[in-house]
Amino acid sequence: MKFNWGKRKPHCHIRGPFCHREAETRDRAIDELLEFIWNLRENGVSNLADLQSEASDPEARNILSYMEQEGLFAREGDKVYLKEKGEEKAREIIRRHRLTERLLMEIFELSEEEAEKEACKLEHILSPEVTDSVCTFLGHPPVCPHGKPIPPGKCCTAPEKSVKPLVMPLNDLDPGGEGRIVFISSNFPARLDKLSALGVVPGSIIKLRQKKPSPIIQVGETTVAVDPEIVHDIYVKAV
Amino acid sequence: MRKRGKNRGMESKDINRKSAKEIILVGNPNVGKSVVFNYLTGKYVVVSNYPGTTVEVSHGTTKWRGKNVTVLDTPGVNSLLPTSEDEIVTRNILLNEKDALIVQVADAKNLRRSLLISSQLAEMRYPFLLVLNMEDEARERGIKINYQELSSLTGARVISTVATQKKNLEKITEELGDLREATLHISYPPALEEAISQIAEFLPEENISPRSIAIMLLSGDKSLKRWLHARLPESRVNEIEAIRRSCQARFDQPISYLINQARLKKVDEIVRRVTIINPIKRKRLSTRIGELSVHPFWGVVILIGAVYLLYQVIGVFGAGVAVDFMEETVFGEYINPFFLRWTERLVPVAWLRDLLVGQYGLLTMAMTYAFALILPIITFFFIAFGLMEDSGYLPRLAVMSNKIFRLIGLNGKAILPMILGLGCATMATLTTRILESKRDRIIVTLLLALGVPCSAQMAVIFGMLSGFSPMLVVLWGGVVGLVLAVVGYLAARYLPGESSDFVLELPPIRLPRIGNILIKTLSRIEWYLKEAVPLFALSTFILFILDRAGILIHIENGAAPFIKGVLGLPVETTQAFLIGFLRRDYGAAGLLALARVHALSAEQILVALVTLTLFVPCLANFLVIVKERGWKIGVAISGFILAVAFTVGGLLNLILKITGFKI
Repeated sequence: MKFNWGKRKPHCHIRGPFCHREAETRDRAIDELLEFIWNLRENGVSNLADLQSEASDPEARNILSYMEQEGLFAREGDKVYLKEKGEEKAREIIRRHRLTERLLMEIFELSEEEAEKEACKLEHILSPEVTDSVCTFLGHPPVCPHGKPIPPGKCCTAPEKSVKPLVMPLNDLDPGGEGRIVFISSNFPARLDKLSALGVVPGSIIKLRQKKPSPIIQVGETTVAVDPEIVHDIYVKAV
Repeated sequence: MRKRGKNRGMESKDINRKSAKEIILVGNPNVGKSVVFNYLTGKYVVVSNYPGTTVEVSHGTTKWRGKNVTVLDTPGVNSLLPTSEDEIVTRNILLNEKDALIVQVADAKNLRRSLLISSQLAEMRYPFLLVLNMEDEARERGIKINYQELSSLTGARVISTVATQKKNLEKITEELGDLREATLHISYPPALEEAISQIAEFLPEENISPRSIAIMLLSGDKSLKRWLHARLPESRVNEIEAIRRSCQARFDQPISYLINQARLKKVDEIVRRVTIINPIKRKRLSTRIGELSVHPFWGVVILIGAVYLLYQVIGVFGAGVAVDFMEETVFGEYINPFFLRWTERLVPVAWLRDLLVGQYGLLTMAMTYAFALILPIITFFFIAFGLMEDSGYLPRLAVMSNKIFRLIGLNGKAILPMILGLGCATMATLTTRILESKRDRIIVTLLLALGVPCSAQMAVIFGMLSGFSPMLVVLWGGVVGLVLAVVGYLAARYLPGESSDFVLELPPIRLPRIGNILIKTLSRIEWYLKEAVPLFALSTFILFILDRAGILIHIENGAAPFIKGVLGLPVETTQAFLIGFLRRDYGAAGLLALARVHALSAEQILVALVTLTLFVPCLANFLVIVKERGWKIGVAISGFILAVAFTVGGLLNLILKITGFKI
C-alpha cells in the first residue's frame, strides 16, 4: 500500500516517511492512521479529505472502512472525529511515540532522525508497564522534544516509587541540590528568552538554593530569584 | 534598493577610529559600568549594588587623545536581543551611534554571561574593549582567567580591573587607541544561517552589520519595526516576515531561544578553555548573610529588625531629634529671628515684608518647611536606603515579598520602586522601568502616586502623630494600606495586558562603601532640593497672592461645605489641601501647623492625614508620570486618585461619626 506523505516535517507532528516502511501489518496501519488523525486534530484540522488523501490506495481504504466498522472513528459531513475506542488507542500510541522520542533524544542523545525512526517502531510494541516506567524514569514529562503535549498516563497521577526518575522538575530536588538542565518546558517564548539570557539553558548545571518564600536558582555565579512556576518548568538530570 | 554582491559587508570597516566622538559603556546589569563612567567623566551617577540602577542614559565627557569625547553610560543588558525597555534603549544606541568606541564592562566571575554580550557585539562588527571588572571577587571565588587566551579566542582586547578601587582603570583610555574587530563568530544551525543570509541581503550596510540585524529580525524582534520601515519598502518588510515565519515553522522552539543556545554553546567552549576554577569550600560570611536574609524564618526576623532600625533612625532620630533641633533651635532661635530683624529694618514696604516673613512668607514658611522639617528626615532616609541598596539587601526584599505582591497581580520586583517611593515618589516613578510589562508599570505608578507616602510627607505625618496615641499611627497605616491593596487588586484585575514573570537577579551581599553612600546621599539631596524648594516657594507665593487678593477666603468658603460636611474638618484645612495640589508634603506641613495649635481632634487628624496621604501626586510626580506614561494616563491617574482620596476620607469620617469611635 502507498501513503501519500507529502512534504511534511519528519517528526511527531505529522507522520514522516520513516514510519511508513514499518507499517506492514494491518494493526500497524491502523495505529498509523489513528496517530494521523490525532496529529491532524492537534493542528486544528479534521478534514475527511486529508485522511482520504493520506490513505489513497485501495488497501488503505479497506483499512479505513474496517476502522470505521470497528467504531474507532466516525465521519460527520466532511469532518472526522475519533470515537471513544479510537481516542483511547490513539492516545496510547502518541504517548508511547513521544515518550520514546524524549528518552532517545535526551537520555541516549540520538539524533532527531534516528530517534524518530526508532520511536516509530517502538510506538507499536511497548507494553503499558514499560511505557509507564519510561514515563516515570523521565519524570513524567508534559511535552515531547518538539513541544507537543504527551498524553499523561496512570503513572503521572499516582507516581510510583519503584522507578526512581532520572529526569525531574527542578522543584523536586531538595534545596541545595544540583542538576544538569535537560529541557525547559515552557510555552512562553519571553520566559525562555529571559532565562537563556541569564545562562539558564539545557546543558547548564543548575542549583536550587531554596524553595521558600520564593525559589532561588543559581547557575555559575548568577543567582536568580524566580516564580515557583519556573522551577516546575525546568527539568534536570541529577548530577 | 540597490543590488549588492554576496560578499557585501565583508570588507573591513575603518576601525582605527582616530576621530571617535563617543565612548559607549555597555554590559550586563550590576557589573560596574557606572563606576567606570564616574571615573572617566568625573561626574557622579548613582551607583548601587542591584541590577537596574541606571534607567536613563547618562552623558559625560572625558579627555581622550587630547580631545573631549562624550561618554555614554547605558542601562545594563543581558542580551542585545531586547526583552525589556532598558535593553531596547541600549540596543538602539548601538544601532544608531556612529563612530563610537565600545567598552564592554563585564563581571569577571561571570564570564559566561559577559561573553554572551561580547558575541553579540562581535556579530554587530563593533570593535570593543572587554573590561573584566571585579577581578578581586573572581579571585576570592577561586576563578582564574587566562586573559591572553581569552583575547586570542575572541579577538577583543581584554583588561582586568577593580573599578571600585580604581585599579587598572587608567588602562581603559590607553587601550581604546587600537581596537580590533573581534573575531568571535557564532555559527547557527544551517536552516537558521540560510534565513539569516536571505534577510541580510535585503538590509542596508550601516554602522552595525546586516547579519546582526538579520538575526534580531529572525528572532522576531518587534522593536526594530520603525527602523526597518524607515529603510525598506513595505514589500521587503513583508518578505522578511515571511522568511521568518517559514523558518520558525521548521522548529518547534522559538528561534530566539535556539539562537541563544547556539551562542551559549560557543561561549561555554571558550569559558572552558580560559578559566580554571579552584572551588573554595569555605562559605563566606557574606554568602551566609545573603542566605539568611531570604530564609523563610530568619528572613522575616531580619526584615522586622531592619524595619525597626529604619524606624529608629528615620522616625525617632531623624523626624524627632534632628527636626526638633533644626526647627526649634536653628530656625526658631537663629535664622528666622535674624531674617525678621533684618527685613524689619531693610524692607520698608509692608506687603513685601509679609511676602518674606509673614504668615505665608517665603522665608518663614517655605524655607522653614523645606530645610527644618523635611531635609533632616529625607537625609536619614537616603542614607538608610543607600545602605540597603549597596549591601544588596533591597532585591532580597523582593524575594520575601513576591508572594504578597502576587496576591495583587504584581510580582516581588514591584517592591523596589515602592520602597524608593517612601523616599521620593517622583524618583520611584522613574524606577518603575525595571518592571517588564507596561501593565505592571502603570499599576505601580498608580500605587506610588496614590498612597505610598514619600519621606517628606512622612516627616510631617510623624511630626503630627507624635503626642497622640500609637493607635492613630496604626489606623492611618491600616487605612492607607487597605486602600493600596484594594486599588492594586482591582487595577491588576481590570487593566489589560499580562503580568510579567518574576525573574530577578540577586547581587552578592557586599559591605557598603561609606564613601559611595555619602556621595549618593548628597547627590540625591541635591536633586531633592532642586526639585522641592522651588515648588515650596511657588506654592507659598500662590497662597500669599490668594490671601492678599482676598480669594483665599472665597475658596475656603466655597470648599467649606465639602471640607466641613463631608470630611468633618475645620475650614482652615482647605489651604493645606490647596497647596497639596503642588506638593502633598507641603500640604501635610500645613496640617501640622494646625495640629500644633490644637485646632484638630485626633479623629480629624486621622481623616485629614488619610485624605492627604492619598491626595493627588505632587506636581513633579505628575510631570514625571506624564513623561513616562503620557498625558492620558497622567490625567486619568490624577483624577482617579483625587476621587479615591475624598471618597475614602468622607467614608472614614462617616464611619467614625456613626460608630462614635474615639482614638
